[in-house]
Amino acid sequence: MTDPATAETQTEPIRDLSKARDVIVCENVSKWYGDFQALDRVSATIKEQEVVVVLGPSGSGKSTWIRCINRLEQHQEGRIVVDDVELTNDLRNIEKVRSEVGMVFQQFNLFPHLKILDNVTLAPIWVRKKPRPEAESQAMALLERVGIPEQAQKYPGQLSGGQQQRVAIARALAMEPRIMLFDEPTSALDPEMIKEVLDVMKTLAQSGMTMMVVTHEMGFAKEVADRLIFMEGGQIVEQNSTEEFFSNPTEERTKLFLSQIL
Amino acid sequence: MTELDSSNVSSTAAKGQPSAATPVSKTAPPVTPKLSTWEWVRENLFSSPFNCGLTVVTTVILLTIFRGLLAFIFNPVRQWNGVATNLRLMMTRAYPEEQYVRVWVCVAVILILTGLSMAIWHAGSALPVSEVGRKLLTTGTILVLFALLAPFSTTATMLWLLVALVVLGFAELLRRSAGGLEGQTISTLTLLVITLSGLVASLWVIPYGHHSYIPKRDPRVLAEPGTVALSTKLPWTLMLVIAVVAYFTGRALRDRLPTNATRFTLIALWLLAPPALLYLVLRDPAFDMGHVATTDLPIFAAYALGGTALLSWLTRPSTGELGRIVSAVVLLAGFCSFLTPMRMIVRIDMLALAIFALAAPTFSGGPRAQKRYVAGWIGLLGVMSWLITAINTPSTVSVPGGFFIGGMSITLMVAVFTLVISFPLGIALALARTSSMPIFRLLATWFIEFVRGIPLITILIFFSIMVPLFLPRGMHLGEVAAVIIGYVLFSSAYLAENVRGGLQSITRGQQEAADAVGMTTAQKTLFIVLPQALRVSIPPLVGHCIGVFKETSLLAIIGVFDILYIGRIVIPGQTEFMGSTKENVLFVSLIYWIFAYQMSKASQRLEQRTGLGER
Repeated sequence: MTDPATAETQTEPIRDLSKARDVIVCENVSKWYGDFQALDRVSATIKEQEVVVVLGPSGSGKSTWIRCINRLEQHQEGRIVVDDVELTNDLRNIEKVRSEVGMVFQQFNLFPHLKILDNVTLAPIWVRKKPRPEAESQAMALLERVGIPEQAQKYPGQLSGGQQQRVAIARALAMEPRIMLFDEPTSALDPEMIKEVLDVMKTLAQSGMTMMVVTHEMGFAKEVADRLIFMEGGQIVEQNSTEEFFSNPTEERTKLFLSQIL
Repeated sequence: MTELDSSNVSSTAAKGQPSAATPVSKTAPPVTPKLSTWEWVRENLFSSPFNCGLTVVTTVILLTIFRGLLAFIFNPVRQWNGVATNLRLMMTRAYPEEQYVRVWVCVAVILILTGLSMAIWHAGSALPVSEVGRKLLTTGTILVLFALLAPFSTTATMLWLLVALVVLGFAELLRRSAGGLEGQTISTLTLLVITLSGLVASLWVIPYGHHSYIPKRDPRVLAEPGTVALSTKLPWTLMLVIAVVAYFTGRALRDRLPTNATRFTLIALWLLAPPALLYLVLRDPAFDMGHVATTDLPIFAAYALGGTALLSWLTRPSTGELGRIVSAVVLLAGFCSFLTPMRMIVRIDMLALAIFALAAPTFSGGPRAQKRYVAGWIGLLGVMSWLITAINTPSTVSVPGGFFIGGMSITLMVAVFTLVISFPLGIALALARTSSMPIFRLLATWFIEFVRGIPLITILIFFSIMVPLFLPRGMHLGEVAAVIIGYVLFSSAYLAENVRGGLQSITRGQQEAADAVGMTTAQKTLFIVLPQALRVSIPPLVGHCIGVFKETSLLAIIGVFDILYIGRIVIPGQTEFMGSTKENVLFVSLIYWIFAYQMSKASQRLEQRTGLGER
């Protein structure tokens, strides 16, 4: 687990994202929990098909920010525009954004009372109004893609953590989202299981999905990310292309962080 | 996955041939040595001087209680004839004897549903025969104790001892021949049928004595002793056959029909059974066909057609926000209809339509979903119209005084109606109390705290006396109906608190996961929150059900003839059975216990079943 990137160092072709559309735009987003400021004027833009990894020490506001993007948390100041829809209190906008943005949680959050297949088909059937047979064949295809079609008839409690997280990814993909958010997807997993989840995420990134990933997996960040964002104390300290970030960080704080982690 | 597979292989292989064939060798778990009976007794009952003392004292106390109970039951002074003679009174009060076939039809319908459900839900499990033998051994030991402790004559004691020995011998034979836990097994259902057949057969053999009244003689007099068995042995035999046939029909159908649709239909039939049996079979309304054709059918047709049009528009995914406004208007119209005089059925239909309309966007979808939703509306409307017409039509069965049934039937009826109505209400209250909308939260909290603060008896008295005074002119509500409404409110307040406990056990992550895939609040509640919350609250909910069932005996206070009232007041008031209160109450408590114990067993099975997926 020391450095999975060394095994497969072939760098993916550098994509030209300069002409791509902006799908997530954050402008001076701020949020307070009581007196504590969790986000402090966060501004960033994420382009279509871009893979952005958000780094930072615990409590730096990474998760809060990513959760603001599909409105699991409300920001109090600034603007967030997702896929040309601004997040306001309008319920319809929120539901629209949520069905376009998939999210994977640290604790998987599968529905324990439903079989794996039903976990994946529930939202397509009831939110997207798909006929059940179609939703089921799509779900089986997704489970195949994340490598666990044989578990379809089991319950989440019967699966290992890595398998559960892969189901969670399939569940999010079943809504055919345009953007995927990952909130520390591997932090609750055994080291052995981290790789299987990261592999799924890698293939997803290669297929052209727009992804925003909060993680502590440096190997993954190096290998897959187009851009890195480093946060501390609710602020973005530095954002840069992956290569620049690791080889040539500008901020002192970033250098300190990298020296401790690498 | 690979680790899991290999561990499975090795564990299965370890049973057959140890470690030779498998790459991973795992040691088998240590074998727990099996204790002989004497070793078990020494280890568990007489392990230390203190435990010896405890065992002896407890045994003496238990034996004394058992002996006292037997001495009470078999005392020649006891008038058990009072119970036997008045069985019909205890079950149905004054329901006319010549119409009794209706009661049996009800029993048959319930048994058919039970048999079908047992088949469809795969009831029963395999029990090792040796385990059956062990259970029979316990029964035999209890029989020996019974023979020795009961105040019998010597011959009777000898006879009972003989029976006990036969049971013990048979049990030991079973245990030895079956050979351990992995030997032959027998289905628990087979055992159930054998037990019930034994009971039914005993009706043909044993003359359970009673007296019968000579009809149409005033003052009424007791005739010669007859037997209860005479009038019940044939019906009960038929019932057993019906139940068994229903079970096998269910098994035959089980694999041919789609599981979910069949289960859904059965649940619907179970919900439909109590009102249909009560108001259509037992009460036998004399329908006035002219009135039905000119009033009831047109109202039904209007609502069926109008509802179909409205709902198929509302369930179209493209309808959107306008649909919600229209359904809110229908709901408002439903409430306003109470202000002007009109037929009750028109108002109730409108309220039901409003509820269907409000829920429509949640269930919207393609043409198939639309059709299913509209069919659901027409089905519910049809059943509702039929029942309301039946309730409003005078009965052909004439029963003197009060409600047309009493005794055990009214106990069951009140309990079932109260529970069925208060479940959705209680869940709604719990959701309201935990909702983020302040007005709902406040109203629900006030209601729950208010209702929980007053005794049930107060509510029952209030509803039986006061509510008829508050009703609009021209609206009549039977006393039993009024009392059920009061009981429903009381029960739903408690239910709400039980369900709220379950709701609090749902983690925030579950809600967020549902939010993140774009579910609406209604979908989230229906598909994610409630199924998990209800599963957690099964134990308190079943406790509540048992409580509601038992507390129906409070109905006696407002003059309803329930089984306890009949046993406590009515039978001891008959000249032949003066002072037989103790016997009757003991019998009534036995009946209550049988029902309550079955509910508690059912809840245990339900817990095991729903817990399966989690592990």
